[in-house]
Amino acid sequence: MATAIGETRPTARRGPGLAGRIYKHRTDYLYILPALIVMFVVIGYPVYYVVELSFFKTPPSLAMSEKIFVGVDNYSRILQAKSFHEVTMNTVVWTVFSTLFAFILGFGAALALDRAFFLRGPLRGALLIPFVISAVAGSFVWRWMYNSDIGVIGAFLVELGITDRPLNFLDNTQTVLASLIVVNVWREFPFAMIMMLAGLQTVPDELHRAAKMDGASVIQRFFHVTMPHLKSVTLITVLLLTVNNLNSFIIPWIMTGGGPANASDIWITAIYQLAFGRVRFGIASAYSVILFLVMMVLGYYYVRIMTRGDERRAE
Amino acid sequence: MTAQDQRVRKLRRTSTAFVALVAAGAIGMSSAMAQTTIDRSKWSPDYVREIAGTLEVDTAKECAEVTPLDYEGKVTFWYVGPTEAEPDLHKQMDQEFWDAFKETYPNIELTVQNINYNQMLDKLRTASLGRAAPMLARMPILWGVEFAAKGFLQEMGPEDVGYTVDEFWPGAMKSVTWEGTTYGIPTNNETMALIWNSELFKEAGLDPESPPATWDQLVEYSNTIKQETGKSGYGLVARVNAGNTPFRFMPVMWAEGGGALDEAEDNPTYEDVYIGNAGSKKALQHAYDMYVRDKSVPVSALTNTQTENQDPFIAGQLAMVIAHPAEYATMLDRARKATGSDKEIAQKVVDNMRYGLIPEGDVRRSVVFGGSNIHMFKDDFVDGGEVDRQAALALVCFMTSPEWSTKLSWVISNPGNLRGFATKWNKERLDSIKFLDVATSMLPYGVPFPVIPESTEIMNIIVPGMLQNALTEKMTVDEALADADDKVKELRSGL
Repeated sequence: MATAIGETRPTARRGPGLAGRIYKHRTDYLYILPALIVMFVVIGYPVYYVVELSFFKTPPSLAMSEKIFVGVDNYSRILQAKSFHEVTMNTVVWTVFSTLFAFILGFGAALALDRAFFLRGPLRGALLIPFVISAVAGSFVWRWMYNSDIGVIGAFLVELGITDRPLNFLDNTQTVLASLIVVNVWREFPFAMIMMLAGLQTVPDELHRAAKMDGASVIQRFFHVTMPHLKSVTLITVLLLTVNNLNSFIIPWIMTGGGPANASDIWITAIYQLAFGRVRFGIASAYSVILFLVMMVLGYYYVRIMTRGDERRAE
Repeated sequence: MTAQDQRVRKLRRTSTAFVALVAAGAIGMSSAMAQTTIDRSKWSPDYVREIAGTLEVDTAKECAEVTPLDYEGKVTFWYVGPTEAEPDLHKQMDQEFWDAFKETYPNIELTVQNINYNQMLDKLRTASLGRAAPMLARMPILWGVEFAAKGFLQEMGPEDVGYTVDEFWPGAMKSVTWEGTTYGIPTNNETMALIWNSELFKEAGLDPESPPATWDQLVEYSNTIKQETGKSGYGLVARVNAGNTPFRFMPVMWAEGGGALDEAEDNPTYEDVYIGNAGSKKALQHAYDMYVRDKSVPVSALTNTQTENQDPFIAGQLAMVIAHPAEYATMLDRARKATGSDKEIAQKVVDNMRYGLIPEGDVRRSVVFGGSNIHMFKDDFVDGGEVDRQAALALVCFMTSPEWSTKLSWVISNPGNLRGFATKWNKERLDSIKFLDVATSMLPYGVPFPVIPESTEIMNIIVPGMLQNALTEKMTVDEALADADDKVKELRSGL
């Protein structure tokens, strides 16, 4: 609506400034001060050091004290490298599909387990097993099951007459990433299941009953009653899964080491390989800073979702 | 060097002159300069047997001249020690070593960490950077030069613990030398051999007692076995970032006249890049032919290490592998642990196991000269900021002695100290370990990996990466070679 000249624009009520707000909550800040100090020491300094190292070249023949300043050369080398684009594409595929399928499977399991039925308890416990098992142990077991020569999955498929010879899961550039995603989804879906199950249990039963009395179908009740209540928990679950998948290391590293021919190399395995396999701490640090920035963006949205409404409540 | 150190050296030089001469004579060498040059024509299974048991040693007496037996001090030590998967005898020898050292040097306090092979390098790198390294570390042969080049290691050679350079393999000494200075002492050295299942050879219509003499022939044999029996011919290993891969592929490259650099030449400069030459191409073509063209090797070769080859071998599903002398002991263990019908199959495989020399190529026969070396870190990089050099030298002397370098490598390797070959313990090993003499006779063909700080990257990443690029057909053989050639050249340019 336009404002006529001479009219006085209603002024918004201005709250206290930043300093005022901090002062107002000084006791709260004192409570979290020890945690902030610890975080600064164990997170702040390493982050600073990684950023600093990212501007240096650290060839394997030189001690760290003799590192060579190269400005943003490490960043431009990474961004121009063909391998970076391959690894980024692998990371996107890995993260998107792992998150998507883990969420869908986890949500499906949560919906099923939300209803009371015989053996629901033991079944709920059984579905948690992949999440509880050590990722290292799980990766080794899957590596053997997938083995292209003597793996049980390949043998089973041959036995059933589905294939003539064992399928090549991990030694083929076309199938390796999909095979690893299956393992990752197997391991992660229980997390999504727990989160969504917790969300489902907060949906008031009265609303369902009221909607049912109004003649809403099961599907209508799901989309118009259940889903709106699960919006926050869904966003949080997807964000946590995404962050976790971007940081995944154990499964791809143990099962394939990023191979064959880098077909399953993702950002984290590439960074580890650069730092510890090739002793290029400088370029690995630059890689880490790029990943850090991506994670910060995701983290920003995560915190925004988590703290939505807190400011108003804190006033 | 202190006056005391000089006195110790002089004493040790005098006292070891005799044994060094005996050892030099025993291994078939003579030289006015007392230089050890191994007579390859004499170093054979028979020759190794002939010299075993001809030398008596007193370890405590030898080491007392380096560090008095009542010395009070402290040593911290990291090593890749025995794992649960290794033969019981190896674990037992390791325990006996620590017991014997404590008995000989009761006042030296030991802090020992047995670290997994796959974790030790990262842990040492991190600890050195954080100035928390141990005083001593026994590292696989490939690793030490990186730490020496970075200035983390103290100068230390055989003479510091009363031995002479002649008592160690020249190739092993090369691996502890950086820019003309010695930074460690070899503890054990081994070479691999070709192992085959004679029953599968017979089944495929091949002479069960004659292994392939050349790499060309090995490719043919592998294909014949696959065609005739349906089983895998050769246990190709091509996993990235796994030491097993270069240990099995580099011998092919060297044999055909290739290499990463010029490391297989008599006097390598490490300046010339060989990875794109015709010899390297022939070697990569062999791997391509077996994996892609003939499909005569396990499909899982790209994710396999040698450990994954052990199961198909003991199950009679794989005919040839390249492995350590300890492979026989490992197979015996597996056969013993097998149950039901598997036990019968495994025992049959063990009975039909044969050891032979690794095949020759167009240029030479070669094998990776493997093993470990012991190194001492500088004060600045160790936990506590000070190395108790005298206590550390006592442990180094003990570990590299003829007695313990033999016993510690009982089933898995060979003594780093050549005098160990002449001891009664080596005779006992030869009498009890089948095929040890064959694996040992590969030692003169041993080629050490390039002694440059970039060696680990070349061997564990660039070479396996080249193999994977070709075997997955992501690149042609020529493209994979050119790609690896570029990477090695870039690495050597200091980028």
